[in-house]
This record gives sequence, C-alpha cells and structure tokens, in this order.
Amino acid sequence: MTIIPRRSNRVLLCLMLAGVLSWLMLDAVSMAPNRIVPGTPHRAHEVMGWWLSLLSLLPMLAIAALAWRPDTGRLRVALGLLVLLLAAMPLWLAAAVSALADPSMPQARLGIGPALWVLLFLWLLGVIELRTRLGLSRPMGWLLLVPVLLGWWLALSRWLEPLALYREYQGRSDQFISAVGHHLALVGAAVGASLVVGVSLALAMRRFPGLRRAGFGVLNFIQTIPSLALFGLLLAPLAWLAGRFDWLASLGVSGIGWAPAWLALVGYSLLPMVRNTYVALEEVDPAVIESARGMGMSRRQAFLQVRLPLALPVMLEGVRITTVQAIGLTAVAALIGAGGLGTFIFQGLGQAAMDLVLLGALPIIALALVADALLGALTERLRHGGAS
Amino acid sequence: MSGASHTSTLHRYLAGGWALFLTRWSVPLIWLILLLLLTFGMSHMEGVFRLVEPDTREVIYRRTSFAALLGQHLLVVGVASLLAILLGVGAAIAVTRPAGRDFQPMVAQLASIGQTFPPVAVLALAVPALGFGTLPIIVALLLYGLLPIVRNTLAGLSGIDAGVREAARGMGMTGGQILRQVELPLAAPVILAGIRTSVTINIATAAIGATVGASNLGDPIISGIVNGNTAYIVQGAVLIGLLAITIDSLFDRLQRHRPLST
Repeated sequence: MTIIPRRSNRVLLCLMLAGVLSWLMLDAVSMAPNRIVPGTPHRAHEVMGWWLSLLSLLPMLAIAALAWRPDTGRLRVALGLLVLLLAAMPLWLAAAVSALADPSMPQARLGIGPALWVLLFLWLLGVIELRTRLGLSRPMGWLLLVPVLLGWWLALSRWLEPLALYREYQGRSDQFISAVGHHLALVGAAVGASLVVGVSLALAMRRFPGLRRAGFGVLNFIQTIPSLALFGLLLAPLAWLAGRFDWLASLGVSGIGWAPAWLALVGYSLLPMVRNTYVALEEVDPAVIESARGMGMSRRQAFLQVRLPLALPVMLEGVRITTVQAIGLTAVAALIGAGGLGTFIFQGLGQAAMDLVLLGALPIIALALVADALLGALTERLRHGGAS
Repeated sequence: MSGASHTSTLHRYLAGGWALFLTRWSVPLIWLILLLLLTFGMSHMEGVFRLVEPDTREVIYRRTSFAALLGQHLLVVGVASLLAILLGVGAAIAVTRPAGRDFQPMVAQLASIGQTFPPVAVLALAVPALGFGTLPIIVALLLYGLLPIVRNTLAGLSGIDAGVREAARGMGMTGGQILRQVELPLAAPVILAGIRTSVTINIATAAIGATVGASNLGDPIISGIVNGNTAYIVQGAVLIGLLAITIDSLFDRLQRHRPLST
C-alpha cells in the first residue's frame, strides 16, 4: 500500500494547469479541403464557441480540485475522470468534424492540432502519475486503456472518416497490413536468429573463457556503429556475393532488401542477448547447483532443470531489450528497401505528407510499447513462478 | 581520494608528460587520426572506389566536402548532447531535492517509458511538429537524448547510501555543498554512462536526419541509396562508423580513469 500524503498533488495540479492553457491557446484541429493544400488551423473556441469550450474545461478543473487535498478516494475519481477525458477526445473530434464539415468538399481532411497532442501527452502523464500514487498493478494500468481504445474505435468506425490519418490509412489499408506483417516478420526473424546464436555464443563463452573478451569486444564494437552506416556497409559485400553466387541471388539476397537488414539486426541484437544470457547463467548461486548435484542430479540435469530455469527471467529481459530495439531499427531498414512500417515514414518525408509519416511512426511506437509490456509481464510472471 | 595519492597523480602527470598522455589516450587518438585522414583524403582515393563502382562516372561524393559534413554532424550532435546533459542532469537533480520530490516518480516513469520509443519514430514525429531542416533534428535528439541521462542521473543519485549524505550533513555541509562535493562525484560514473548512451544514439539518429533535410554524414549514404551509387554509401558509412567509434572510445577512456577529478 502506498502512503498518500494529505498535501496537494502538485504534479497533477501542474499537468492540469498546462492542459487548460494549451486548450485555450493552441490550435485544436486543422481542416484542409484535400491532401495537397495545407489546412486552416482552428482553436477549440472557434469550433464550439466560447461557452462550450470553457465548459469543457470543467473535468480538468475538477481533477485539479481533487488533487488539491488528495486522498485515495479522490485520486481514484481523478483517475476515472482522466480516462473519461482520454476516451472522450475522439468523440470531440467527431463533433468537430460535423461542426466544420463542408458538404461541397467531400475530400476534406481533419488534422489533429498541437493542443490535442499536448493534452494527450499531459493526460497520459497524469494517468502514469496516478497509477504510481495509487500503487495500481501493471495489468490494471493496461485495463484503464480499454475504454480509451473503445472510444477511438467507435469514433473511427462511425464518424471520423475525414481524419487525415484515417484517410491515409484507407488509401493503403492493404499495404499497411502487409507492412505491419513484414515489420513483425523481420523483427521476429532477427530476434529468433539472435536468440539461437546468442545463447550458443554465451554457452561457448562459459566453456572457453578466452572467447569472452574477444566476443564481447566484437559485439560492443558492432553495437557502436550507427544503424545507417552498418546497413550501408553490408550493402556492398552482399551485392558482390549475390552477383557471384546465383543460389544466393535466387534466395532473394541482394545489396538492398531484407538480407542486409536482417544481418544488421542480428548483429545489433547479439550484444544484449549474449550479455543477458551470460550474466543470467553466471549469476545463479553456486550453492544451488551444488545442492542439485548433491541430490544426485547429473551435470546436464542440474543445468537444464536448475540453472536454466533460474536464469530464464534475465534471459527474457535480453529478448525484451532486443525486440524493442529491433522494432525501431527495422524502421531505419526501410531506407535500404527492407519494407515494413518505416516505408511510410520515409515516403511521407519524401512527399512532405505528414499524416503518412504519422501512419508509419505511431504504429511503430505502439508496437514497441506493446512488445515491451508483453515481454515485461512475461518476465515478471516467470520471476514469481520461479520463486515458488 | 586522499591528498597523497592526489599529489602523486599530479606528479606523474607532469613527469610523464606527453608519453603518458599518449599512452592513456592512444586508442581514441588513433581512431581520430584515421577519421581525419579519411575525411580529408577521401577525395584522393578515386582508385579504390573505382573498384566498388566501375561503371559510374562519379565515384566520389562531391556535393559538399566531407569535412563540412563531419563538422555539421558534430555540431548537431554536440549542441543537442550539451543541452541534453544540462537539462537532463538538471532535471534529475531538481526532482531529487526536497522541493521537487513530488515529481520524481513521474519523471522516472517517463524516462523509462520514453526509452522504448524508437529514436527514428521520435525524429519522424518532430518533422510534422517543427518542419524540415536542422532544428527538428536538434530538438528530437535533445528530447530523446535526455532520457538515458535523466534515468542514469536518477539512478546514480538515488543509489547513494543515505548514511553518506547523513555524514556529510553531520560535518556541517549545506545542501548545495553535499550535492557538489558528495552526491555528484559519487554518481559521476553512472551519469557518464548515461551520457555515453545518449551521445551514441544521437550520432546514429543524426545520420538518419539526412532524410529530413539536414546536411551531415548521412547525406552521402542517402544520396547513394537514391542514385544506386554504392561508392557514396561506403564513403558515408565509413566516416559515420569511424566518428561513432572515436567518440565511444573517448568515453571508454573517460570512464576508466577520470583524470584529476574528484
């Protein structure tokens, strides 16, 4: 149980004050007649009038009031209000669409303005703060997101067709889904390969101590090289190899594409994987192994039934780091034609189509967060399971 | 560190002079020399790159000199990293003082969640917000570079044994003195490790910044990919790699012995 002091929660007060200011002073949405013309920005009060826009500040003011003299109950109510606000944002956007829509412009696009991005950020910070103060568990925190996602889904499926981000998605929904699949496949292939190679390497390092120094030296070195440079450096030799050996070329290996991307991803993934596996295996208390051996276990049994299970949480931590890192690096790999969600980012940057950039960047962030949360939860579970 | 060994370190410094300096910093120096040699000598290596791209008319990237590209790269990374160090260490100090302690859990959570964001995605998000050019890159690098520094500074400061602080207070030190003379020196290795991570990521991310209109060492790579000129790619990649390794080996030395500090 966390102890909640009876003085005001200044974090929440600050966040809500900043929220009120950004709602009143920054542009909430922008409306553009089509994809090419830049949109006209609108503040909240221009969309819904002064009265309503001031009225819509009430939830935030209420949260601030609750944070003035907080106790557990009040903070719970504040958390509920924050989640409600997050879920209401897409509904407000839908209302803005109907207020600003012009029937003569069927291709009109609604852009999300800085005020809403700032509010989204501040409210999420508020949720994080309250989750910590109330001592809510991780799964509870994720549960809080359910109504928010529901709100977005509802609004997107019914009223938010003019949302620019959604229009970009609709224009290429097939491409988008295959890009997500491609992204995940590349990440999976790289993490899988580095898991196999990394664990073998860690085992070899335990057997041959001489290999340790050199191995970690090389892996550290690879990790230092910037991704764009490593992709570039792999390009020339792979193109040469593919030109020389036909069977490689028939496998789809060439200077650009998945081959250099995959190799580089494995290279980057090896360091966290090997380091965590090695440390995890080494850190198991020798007394535990000793007693396992004393109980009549063979060397092999002691390794497989005692050392490996005890080391598993830390090894899994390595998989988590590797996966999150690979999701980000795969985005860069789009530059060398490896496909995936990064394609949208770089296409969007090339065409100065910012919503296309968002269509690539936001799912990448979401993927990284989800992978981090899932693998983190799995590690947590193994850790507690291992203790029993 | 005791006074005696302090003096002897100083003495050895003066006596050893250049020889000691060179042996201590030899690794980063060698990388630096290699980096500078290639930066200025790349244009004379047409023969080598002819082997990579035999059929192309132009094999040396000439739109901007490599020295200018290197300078731009260093400038962007330097400005962003310097600001990130100032703001990051400052923020971490602020939230560990009594006045700012309320904010500590949120800042710590933010720093750890933020690090799951891929740097490319942060860079991509900076462009819609700030437009093309060098500014969004500096801002993106600054924001992303803050995270490891804040996280490590927090870890370093909160890892200090409460007894140490207590003892310093008992000796009559003020809050500011404890911070400067006890807390920061004790946390320095962890903070330095955070700065190293931050700078390494910044060098790599700045290179990708070439796609959003900054001119730096990523330029030859992007231009090589667009025009299908492998020689350009190799030139950019080698220089960025060398730059990253030079800076990293410098940090490696700094972390091993911090001369004349503490």
